[in-house]
Amino acid sequence: MKRLTLALLLMSLGTAAAAQQPGAPEPVAIEIPPLTSPDSGTKGNEMLQIGWEATQLIASDLSQTSELKPLRITRDDYVSYPEVTAPSFGKWRPLGAKILLTGFVQSRSDGRIAIGCYVYDVSKSAELARKGFVLPKSDWRRAAHKCSALAYTAVTGSPGMFDTRIAYVSESGVGDAKIRRIAVMDNDGHNQKFVTTGDSIVLKPRFSPNASQLAYVSFADGEPSIRLIDLGSGQQRPLLRTDAINFAPRFSPDGSRIAFSMMLGPNSDIYVVAANGGPARRLTTSPGIDTDPSFSPDGSKIVFESDRSGSQQLYIMNADGSNERRISFGAGAYAAPDWSPDGQWIAFTHRDQYGRRVGIMRPDGTGERLLTGGPGDDSPSWGANSRDLLFTRLIAAGRSTIYRIGIDGGQPQQVKIPQDGSDPDWSGAMD
Amino acid sequence: MRKTLIMLALALSATGVQAQILPFLSKRDPAPPAQGIDALRADLAAQSGGTTIYYAAGNAVLGPQAKALLTAQAAWIRRHPEVVVRIEGYGDTGDTRDHALAVGAQRAENARDYLVLLGVPAAQVSITSWGGERSGLGRAVTVLVR
Repeated sequence: MKRLTLALLLMSLGTAAAAQQPGAPEPVAIEIPPLTSPDSGTKGNEMLQIGWEATQLIASDLSQTSELKPLRITRDDYVSYPEVTAPSFGKWRPLGAKILLTGFVQSRSDGRIAIGCYVYDVSKSAELARKGFVLPKSDWRRAAHKCSALAYTAVTGSPGMFDTRIAYVSESGVGDAKIRRIAVMDNDGHNQKFVTTGDSIVLKPRFSPNASQLAYVSFADGEPSIRLIDLGSGQQRPLLRTDAINFAPRFSPDGSRIAFSMMLGPNSDIYVVAANGGPARRLTTSPGIDTDPSFSPDGSKIVFESDRSGSQQLYIMNADGSNERRISFGAGAYAAPDWSPDGQWIAFTHRDQYGRRVGIMRPDGTGERLLTGGPGDDSPSWGANSRDLLFTRLIAAGRSTIYRIGIDGGQPQQVKIPQDGSDPDWSGAMD
Repeated sequence: MRKTLIMLALALSATGVQAQILPFLSKRDPAPPAQGIDALRADLAAQSGGTTIYYAAGNAVLGPQAKALLTAQAAWIRRHPEVVVRIEGYGDTGDTRDHALAVGAQRAENARDYLVLLGVPAAQVSITSWGGERSGLGRAVTVLVR
């Protein structure tokens, strides 16, 4: 869908659009003059400074995509406030940009700031999108990320991932002395926050759909059990009132339910419970280990792993537990599935004599592909664009960090985090 | 890793020696009841012949050695109704995180079930799983917690 939209747009823009490599369209050039301000005096200078930093952040966001290419960013490209909503297209056309992004930063009497962003098709002299945000001055980065997403979506039709967050387990030390804390950061690595204290083992953080809550696994009570933390207030509570071992939580796409694994009896089965409490309902009854449930984007199905056949394989069932069917049939074991936000792919960890590698397949089991080389890769998590994945990679004995890989090709890129890390979870685009 | 193995081996041989000596002591002069958690732990290990049972990779089935050890542990725990033990299960190396957790829990659960089958009150035995999160994979350990 995204490819189609992009192709149509390139055609409508009348570009040569010569593919540099098969399947990789040439990125669309975008001009980003510094965000301006209607304010004057000291206030105006302050707003212009925020605008300039926001401009650089937008350019940095977009330059990391394969679909957009910002042209040179310079403070000399001054744009007056009226030009934000009525750009002189004739001025920009000769510079080669197909897309123009303008914007402003305005101070408000309540101490907050307003940031407006406008995206134009230069060749058509037409506005493609606009959006405004009112927010505390200190939150200007979020508005800038949203401006990046506005341009990205206008060009590609896909949601941008600039205003997304990453939860993961931050690790220091090795072996049994390892300190682990649940950490949350912006997609670009800013705003690192630790949300647990590090006095017990923690695993597998999973965002609620609006990223206001995290479910994670804690050993604070002696045995692994799922806790919920409200990221706004910092308040925590156990998901269940039980002594049974429970783990592997995942929210449903509407945030109303949480699927998880629990040991009631000699093996792990998959259960579902309302996110705000109530009785858990059992979904699987096989004698094997069933774990790592992940909902389809419409919430109607759940993919999970089970070793009922003797080795770990992927299965899909209806969200009420009916109609279980196996979808993975290759050699080796398949584990830790994650259903892509667009519903088209299921990412998984594949395990065989070469170690653990991350791969993808269609929900019907076709199109299987391994994306990474291992030997210690695990726990893939989709980005909102359904094109990029985060995963855990073993980097030394007992030490791991987080990598990012695109499904369209390329090498895994290490994600910058302050310490070692594992179990990444990538939020959807935030409201 | 190697260091851990050596220490483990030393610990096992030490408990083996105690296990041979202690029955003689108790015949001649009944040993005063072990007091304090450390003394009780040592007594459990000595009288049972160890606290650790091992599993074949990828399964949670109790082998003959594991059953023999658990039988001795069950006898000791039944003589000590005041204690609570926790069986801590571990997964296998190279496994994925959640599957390893489940395998560890299954190993601990099977060991607990065996103790209960031998007459240990269920309230005296809890379980947990370290999955692949701690060193000492492929086993389950009976830990005296109270």
